[in-house]
Amino acid sequence: MSDIAVTAPITSFVASRRRQLVIALIVFAAIALIPRAVSDVYTMNVLILTLLFAALSQSWNILGGYCGQVSLGHALYFGIGAYATSILFVKFGIVAWGGMLFGGILSALVALALGYPCFRLKGHYFSIATIVIAEIGLLLVHNWDYGGAALGIQWPFNPDSWWTLQFARNKVPYFYFVLGLFAVTWLVTYAIVESRWGYWWRAVKDDPDAAESLGVTVFNSKMGAAAISAFFTAIGGGFYAAFVSYIDPESVMHFRFSLLMALPAVLGGVGSLWGPAVGALILIPMAELTRSYLGGTGSGLDLVIYGLLVMVVSLTQPEGIMGIFKRSAKKADAKAEA
Amino acid sequence: MNRREVLLAGAAMSLASSPLMGTRAFAQAGAEIPIGVIWPLSGPSAQIGVDAKHALETAAEIVNGSFDIDVPTAKNAGLAGLGNARIKLIFADHQGDPQKGRAEAERLITQDKVVALVGAFHSSVSATVSASCERYGIPYLAADSSSPSLHRRNLKFFFRAAAHDEMFSGGMFDFLDAQKKAGKKIETVGLFFEDTIFGTDSSNVQRKLAADRGYKVVADIKYRSNSPSLTSEVQQIKSADPDVLLPSSYTTDSILLMKTMDELGYKPKNLVAQAAGFADKATFDAVGDKLAGLISRASFSIDMAAKRPSVAKVNEMFKARANRDLNDNTSRQLTSILVLADAIDRAKSTDGEKIRAALAATDTPGEKTIMPWKRIKFGEDGQNVDADPVLIQYIGGKFVTVYPENVAIATAKWPMNG
Amino acid sequence: MTTQAFLQVLASGILIGLIYALIAVGLSLIFGLMDVVNFAHGEFLMLAMYAMFGLVLVTAIDPVLLMPIVVGIMFVVGVSAYAGVIRFAMRAKANPGMVQIFATFGLALVIQGLAQYFFTPDYRNIGNSWLGGKTLNLGGVFLPWPQIYGGVISLLAFGGLYLLITRTDFGKALEATREDQGAVALVGIDRNRVFALGWGLGAALVGLSGAVLAVFYYIYPQVGGPFALIAYVTVALGGFGSIFGALVAGLIVGVVEALTALILPPALKSVGVYSLYLAVLFVRPSGLFGRL
Repeated sequence: MSDIAVTAPITSFVASRRRQLVIALIVFAAIALIPRAVSDVYTMNVLILTLLFAALSQSWNILGGYCGQVSLGHALYFGIGAYATSILFVKFGIVAWGGMLFGGILSALVALALGYPCFRLKGHYFSIATIVIAEIGLLLVHNWDYGGAALGIQWPFNPDSWWTLQFARNKVPYFYFVLGLFAVTWLVTYAIVESRWGYWWRAVKDDPDAAESLGVTVFNSKMGAAAISAFFTAIGGGFYAAFVSYIDPESVMHFRFSLLMALPAVLGGVGSLWGPAVGALILIPMAELTRSYLGGTGSGLDLVIYGLLVMVVSLTQPEGIMGIFKRSAKKADAKAEA
Repeated sequence: MNRREVLLAGAAMSLASSPLMGTRAFAQAGAEIPIGVIWPLSGPSAQIGVDAKHALETAAEIVNGSFDIDVPTAKNAGLAGLGNARIKLIFADHQGDPQKGRAEAERLITQDKVVALVGAFHSSVSATVSASCERYGIPYLAADSSSPSLHRRNLKFFFRAAAHDEMFSGGMFDFLDAQKKAGKKIETVGLFFEDTIFGTDSSNVQRKLAADRGYKVVADIKYRSNSPSLTSEVQQIKSADPDVLLPSSYTTDSILLMKTMDELGYKPKNLVAQAAGFADKATFDAVGDKLAGLISRASFSIDMAAKRPSVAKVNEMFKARANRDLNDNTSRQLTSILVLADAIDRAKSTDGEKIRAALAATDTPGEKTIMPWKRIKFGEDGQNVDADPVLIQYIGGKFVTVYPENVAIATAKWPMNG
Repeated sequence: MTTQAFLQVLASGILIGLIYALIAVGLSLIFGLMDVVNFAHGEFLMLAMYAMFGLVLVTAIDPVLLMPIVVGIMFVVGVSAYAGVIRFAMRAKANPGMVQIFATFGLALVIQGLAQYFFTPDYRNIGNSWLGGKTLNLGGVFLPWPQIYGGVISLLAFGGLYLLITRTDFGKALEATREDQGAVALVGIDRNRVFALGWGLGAALVGLSGAVLAVFYYIYPQVGGPFALIAYVTVALGGFGSIFGALVAGLIVGVVEALTALILPPALKSVGVYSLYLAVLFVRPSGLFGRL
């Protein structure tokens, strides 16, 4: 009897894990079909940004959501990726893929170096320290003549190519790139959640005493999470540089990018697998559409609407929008049991 | 023949008689020609965009209405070359972000089918928007983005009627040379510039010109824009005390710079500003009393109204909307629409290539603009080389043109504080 | 660089530092009371500046006399922000920290958008005032009267705040609530009322700094941004919740910023402040005078 009682949850757990994976693959496949139905450039642009920020927010979620380290300075890693990719391509002719990889590794190393002192800081002290570090990065790049300083870096016109990630009018390749990035970040998160790291993080969250005994291991796992998070954020930054073909300090390292990476996860549901994607799906189209169709008036009402949305969702859905699903699922379970 | 067949036959005839089907369609439907205009309408630079909106709408009013003003396309209602079709401005907001600017440009091009784009204040946004225009084969007019890098990218569809930063700074140093020749003591200059594209471009040129023409740079101060305090920066200027201070700043920092200099008891010997904040009404409302004698480069001079009635008339129309006079930015924004409308008129088409060709063939004498320029004629790179900047001096609560001599109405008070 | 120039920069750094401290202390107070960082703090500052601008425009009375009215208005704004937004953020059962950050961030966007809607994005200025444009010359070191006035107000406000917290019932209620939120309910203190008054007080303090700043600074919808970032650094440097810490940190930030601009290119002057802040934080993770 007791054997059954123990194994039943495990098999159901394995089954639910497998179900999650299948659902994810179906979702990715469904998204992959979108370009067959949509050809409008503007809509594609919104979709690309949505997927990009879903991927970025998913990367942020690894550190901010699962580890509970609320970073508001991820613009630094985004900027490192964008600058590494642009400089290597424009000055050394290294294709965007190489630049992104280099930027990613560089970012991960920076994250490790910064993680060492920063993880000692608690709560708001940590968040504000990340803001300040990113701000230092922004100021330094602003005054970095080799990197173009304020003038930024302009990508030269190039024929369409997957190598250089340059496409004049066609947005579809960019779409598939960010879809791939999003899928990878999702799968990485999926893998981490049930790894030992994920287990330790949950243990620490539930029981502060466990944190003491697990001290060093947890610290190391957090460093690992920071490195992974920074790596993918930099890949996103490198993609952004190739996508826009022009970067300057304010347009890739501004504080608003740090917020834009955290916001989708927070609104969608921190520390949940689909939270960042759901958040990005609401936030990005909303920001784009209010700007496009209200911003032209110059009245500032687009900001009001955007701000209200952020406020209302975070107040009414503290667990994010995914919280609604979780609750209704629980209710359904309760009903089924009854 | 029933009624329907009559209509069809009529339509067929009109098609046959006109090689420009699009044109006929415009004329018959009384349709509007969509032009995309892209400025920062929200965010930190919103004030620029909102001002620009007034200027651009004034220009559209001139094109679409019938006015006795001596600028192209003003006389008759709409565009004569396209059956009096009217132009319609479609506004988009880029918030100062190059990515958003590009997205909006692509939206305007593919959804609203705009025939050309005009923008964008920020040079960074002009860079991405003009690249998109190039890819879609429609003209882009940079109205008030002045980075010299913009016209050096071999773009076929890029045009700029106004001066770029090298021309502006060149004008400023020509003026200094003239003063020197007239026996005034000018040996040292001080650069004071913000850490943006505008400030960097401007200071790079000024540093080079100073070296070439034998002025010693005794202060070279790059500051963070929108700083809460500029005391240390001003203290360094004060210690160096250059013969001429050359600030490149926007409104907020211009106000703070003037206030801080005053607070530290420092009166610069001479101020020759790179317009921007020093051409904004808000700056003069705030610190006008401290700016007596300020010299600024400009693309526009209001006192030309005395010589050229069109300037006064256009300014009145603008003032009715914006409740202020035209300035360096708004005059350039307004002119860009007039230049574009004139080209579309001559192209007799809304096709991108044809408008481009008409723009490239533009040759408008200065008298037929509201600007102090010799003429508008674009070079191979799309830059108008005859957009001579003027220098204006703030005397007695208003600006008077003091350089170059052919348009000057007064001689410069030099030194300004002495 | 002469001694005089150095003294000038030092004096200016101290004066602006006192204002930074005044901007920061409201933020620190609210945090100490209830562990909430207000990301709309810069927007509160902006509102106060517009309030002063509007009052001067309508009444034509000198800003110095209008100061209490601005402070009163901002007190109401603070209480309303608590009642309308923060109260709900406090109730969040999950992720309270993040809910607070993003609820106040949303509030900041709303205030900014409304400011642009109602006041337009134009740069505003309070033209003439008793203090405007007057400068005290101390042997070649120039101290502008508006900033001296700001510094004095700041010191008085800190003094007043100290007395308020140590000598009044309200202050004791504040202290008690921050020590133990659960226990105060037992002795009959309405936690919600203390929090609302705390927010009122915090906003009134930033209102005071806005009223001072409006005399010599330009006003536009985004004016709060740069000051807010400095306020966060100041509060974290001094230690969240420490009022004395905010004063000391404000002075440090003002002076270090001014002096950095003499050594590094002025565009990098904030790097000096930020680096110092990080250095302190890595040695003392809860700031100079913070409690964990």
